[in-house]
Amino acid sequence: MAIQGVYTLFKDDPEARNLLAFFRRHGHSQLNNLTIERVFWLEGDADLSKLMTLLVNPLYQVHSMDSQLDEGSGPIVEIAYRPAVTDPETPSILAGARALGEDGLEFARLSKRYQFAGLEAEEAQRIAARFLYNKVVERVREPGETFTTLRPTGHPDPVTTISLRSLNDDELAHLSRERSWYAPLSQMKVIQAHEGSIGRPHTDAEIEIIAQTWSDHCYHTTWKGLGLLKQLAGATERIRHPLVVSVFKDNAGGMEFYEGWVVTIKGETHNFPSSIAPFGGVATKHGGVIRDTLGFGKGGYPIGGTTIMGTLDPRLPDSEVPAGALHPQLIVTESIRATAYYTNPMGIPMMHPIYRCHPGYAKCLALGHSIGLIPRQYALKDEPQPGDVALLIGGETGRDGIHGATASSTGMTGETLEKESAAVQIGHPITERRFTTAIPVLRDLGCIRTITDLGAGGISCAAGEMGAETGVTLDLDAVPLKDKSLTAWEILLSESQERMLIAVPPEKLSVAQGILDRFEVVGTVIGRFTAHRRLEASWRGQKVVDMEMSFLWDSCPIDPITAAEPKRKLKPVEIPAPRSASEWLDAIRSVLRHYSCADQSPAGTRFDTTVQGRTALGPYGGRNHRMPTNISVSAPLHGKPYGVMTTVALNPFYGEVDPALMARLMIIEAITKAVVAGADYREMVLCDNFYTPRVQPDVAWDLKAMVAEIADFSEKLGVPFISGKDSSSGTFESAGRRIDVPPTLAVATLGRVPDVKKIVTKEFKRAGNKLVLLGFHDATALGGSVYADCYGQRGERLFSKYDAASIRRVWDTLIALRKQEQYASGSAIAEGGIFLRVFEAAFGSGLGARIDLSSIAPARKDGFLFGEFTGSVFLEVAPDWKIEGDLPVTPVGEITEDAHLMLETDGKTLWRDTISNLTEIWSQTFREVLE
Amino acid sequence: MSRAEVAILYAPGTNCHEETAAAIERAGGTSELVLLRDLLDGRAKLGDYRAAAIPGGFAYGDHLGAGRIFGTMLAACLRDQLMEFLDARKPLLGVCNGFQVLADAGILSARSPGKRSMALLENQSGHFEDRKIRLVVSDDKSMWTEGLGGQVLEMPVGHGEGRPLFCETAPGSTGSPVLRYCDAQGRATNQYPENPNGAPNGVAGITDETGMILGLMPHPERASLPAHYSQDGLKLFMNLVRWLRGS
Repeated sequence: MAIQGVYTLFKDDPEARNLLAFFRRHGHSQLNNLTIERVFWLEGDADLSKLMTLLVNPLYQVHSMDSQLDEGSGPIVEIAYRPAVTDPETPSILAGARALGEDGLEFARLSKRYQFAGLEAEEAQRIAARFLYNKVVERVREPGETFTTLRPTGHPDPVTTISLRSLNDDELAHLSRERSWYAPLSQMKVIQAHEGSIGRPHTDAEIEIIAQTWSDHCYHTTWKGLGLLKQLAGATERIRHPLVVSVFKDNAGGMEFYEGWVVTIKGETHNFPSSIAPFGGVATKHGGVIRDTLGFGKGGYPIGGTTIMGTLDPRLPDSEVPAGALHPQLIVTESIRATAYYTNPMGIPMMHPIYRCHPGYAKCLALGHSIGLIPRQYALKDEPQPGDVALLIGGETGRDGIHGATASSTGMTGETLEKESAAVQIGHPITERRFTTAIPVLRDLGCIRTITDLGAGGISCAAGEMGAETGVTLDLDAVPLKDKSLTAWEILLSESQERMLIAVPPEKLSVAQGILDRFEVVGTVIGRFTAHRRLEASWRGQKVVDMEMSFLWDSCPIDPITAAEPKRKLKPVEIPAPRSASEWLDAIRSVLRHYSCADQSPAGTRFDTTVQGRTALGPYGGRNHRMPTNISVSAPLHGKPYGVMTTVALNPFYGEVDPALMARLMIIEAITKAVVAGADYREMVLCDNFYTPRVQPDVAWDLKAMVAEIADFSEKLGVPFISGKDSSSGTFESAGRRIDVPPTLAVATLGRVPDVKKIVTKEFKRAGNKLVLLGFHDATALGGSVYADCYGQRGERLFSKYDAASIRRVWDTLIALRKQEQYASGSAIAEGGIFLRVFEAAFGSGLGARIDLSSIAPARKDGFLFGEFTGSVFLEVAPDWKIEGDLPVTPVGEITEDAHLMLETDGKTLWRDTISNLTEIWSQTFREVLE
Repeated sequence: MSRAEVAILYAPGTNCHEETAAAIERAGGTSELVLLRDLLDGRAKLGDYRAAAIPGGFAYGDHLGAGRIFGTMLAACLRDQLMEFLDARKPLLGVCNGFQVLADAGILSARSPGKRSMALLENQSGHFEDRKIRLVVSDDKSMWTEGLGGQVLEMPVGHGEGRPLFCETAPGSTGSPVLRYCDAQGRATNQYPENPNGAPNGVAGITDETGMILGLMPHPERASLPAHYSQDGLKLFMNLVRWLRGS
């Protein structure tokens, strides 16, 4: 056997069926059938008949040595990896062949042949290019093309030098754009001057490293320019929280848990790649933020995560999607597929799957968090020592993700989709899963001095950061490549996923290698830490990088940023109050089916929520396991009662009305959600993720106002931010139009609770119990509410009754009430107001409720029902319940045995309906989006 | 002889091994995590344990098919150890991906390593299903479900390929469908999502003819600890421990 193809077909192929439905939905209605033939290409001397058991299961597959597709039935597009690239399955096939005693199999590749019945060849090619392959690593095979070898082939370009000496400002700016460095002129001039001081032109690798290190994504030039990083860190420092272990500096933040453990949190956005290639972008969003947990201290373990997507409305007609942007429905469905693809095999429970839409998210929001667990003794990194080994573990380095850091730091235009597709990484969760299992073993056996993940900027960034205080010298020839055509700077900059860098004490190297072998993780020594304070790299006998660390880390010019107060065009909310049962139904229906309020479980139930056996309460609960819980509770130490509780708040509508107040409200909302469920805000920390437009004076103003607000407010509350990330590139430009994201801040809480069994859940517990609102309300403050959005309005005034002192009073009251078990169920007011809480709690319990609005002034009963009184809570209490103190309590109604919702005032019924009818309305939105 | 009773076999991509160990411990048993690689390289032996469990996950990334690489290694490289283990009628459990491994290796349903008698196909919905489901236990004889006949057990599922297909030409190869997805009244169901994957006749778990091998798609280990929403899964592990202590 030289090179032989084995062609396989599934007898029943759900993938082909789903793709067929998907393409037909996306405008290819002529497509009447889709067949997928999978081909194994095998090279070497092996007994094919013996290999068949590995390649084919005859119970559901048929195979042959020639294609089984009839060419007359429609055009065929065959997709395979490029010749320079290895298939992810290749090592598995070779290992399986060895297991079967067929050592003669030398190499294997896969390809997929798609046959599009009913389409012309051109349309089939277009579909393939858009949906079926990533041209950075894959390609279409020509009909009749033969292989000469399956082994990766390809030749790298040589290293070049680039002199900036004779360039004027315009030429510098042009070069920066053309090479995808996106470095501002000030940086280009510093690089130019540096060339003069070292007396030689830089190599391409050196300039690439500088541009990447100084990109906004890596160096936070926008935030530094506005002095924001220090402001937030300063507030946290002044709080001096006794539970805080690690703040801002490491890959995540850490908080003391129980019995010598630390829990960690990190949130990261991946907006740019997710906008241009949602599947790859979102998959690697998860992969990246999970590696932040693995790279915390001396190696943490991920115990939970989130996925939070903000897009344009997925129901938009094609004609309203800006040119050059992907359709939001595609972004949402691909993101769901990607989250399932990545987080399920990682074995990490999904804690909060959240989907939001807003007309500003043309460049989408793609946020993910990772929650981790680590023994206290390993929570702080050591510095690498000269002589320590730089050990690269995980996947091979390829062409994917080059220029991710620089490209993601700029805005997006209609052309970005084409130009920067190479910047999107490709994720293989199995590779990450391998070292996720191995890292705690390496750590516990003392093999890790320090560890970090390879993300933006790849090897250059990880090694450069790790060795900033010592120096590091890299041997690029040692780096395992999945693409043989990579040149030196590409090896340094590649953002290929699933790689980590460890500084290993030299005497521990053989122990480390032994562990990695047992766990089937590839580990390669790619350099050593030195005492030179230089970043050095050699490749093919040439020194390709030789730079002072001080230049790299201390010379980035920070451009001053001017701020100017934005002029907002805001109008008061004007919604006619409902006057009849049918008008009430219209209002209720529009809130229930609103994207932010509707049942999102058709997406969320595709993600594993119980893996690891730690889940005490996942995203869906209640009697039917479908009620959104809005909190997540994990019991990370098997057999122990201690819980980690997390919540998330974000609201793009509020951001549009009043960014600073929105920022405060997000803190209040996130903490209140946790406190009502049983957490104590004094045992809680926060994580911030900002997403703002590309900086201009008005954006700078808002950013400053938001950060000033959260720094001040968190300090007053004594609840610190310990981790966060900013993305200042939320701008999409196309056909002369600029679309900015609304100022967005997602606040996540990480808290600890002594006993997961004492959590108060949201579903109703007993018919006859009384329903009350604890805290302030303001039925006229409808700005930013879902209710206003249902009528196409944003409003001009957000609810703002709480300052730090009064919200603490709410929380202290809740904590006291819970200790005395005075409320049976409860939830924090957020989108959809009191009404959504009543509906969800009824839905999750099988009970109903009678809502009595008699005590509410006649003009805005709807405002009371749908207003978003962030910080106030909706509670179920005993019928004779009373409370002392000055916090307002407003009666809302009572729980009923029959599963109805009823709206009453002054003894007369305004509206009533069954929970099952309302559930139907509530469930429809996401079913439609995912269809 | 190892001091631990149960070997929990795991490979790259397995991701439910730790909670399986926690559930066995909760049931009063002892277990040890055993890397497939250590078995292949001779650092560990299956014969040192009195029972074995293959937990869930995506072993070897589900390359070439769920359970394929793990199953191939088990049936091809560890055949002698495996046969000895099966001949000794030791208890063997495969959960989710572990069930897929047992099926791909030919261990379920017909105890014929190297010759497949069943497969687990992609869910009817075409995607991963994370659900909390009910199972009704049949009266078929199995060490794992001894005394549980007729009971309804609540536990989670989380899988993309869980729809059983049995080889019709191998007689007796369907094993005994000891666990079926059911509705609130305990009636076996084909209704989605109570039956999350479209399994014919609601089949969620089967045992072989000896009743010592159990393969199931739902996750008993995720419903075993006080923190979990249900502890019904623990009953299977308690039966295991009872058997280990009784024999």
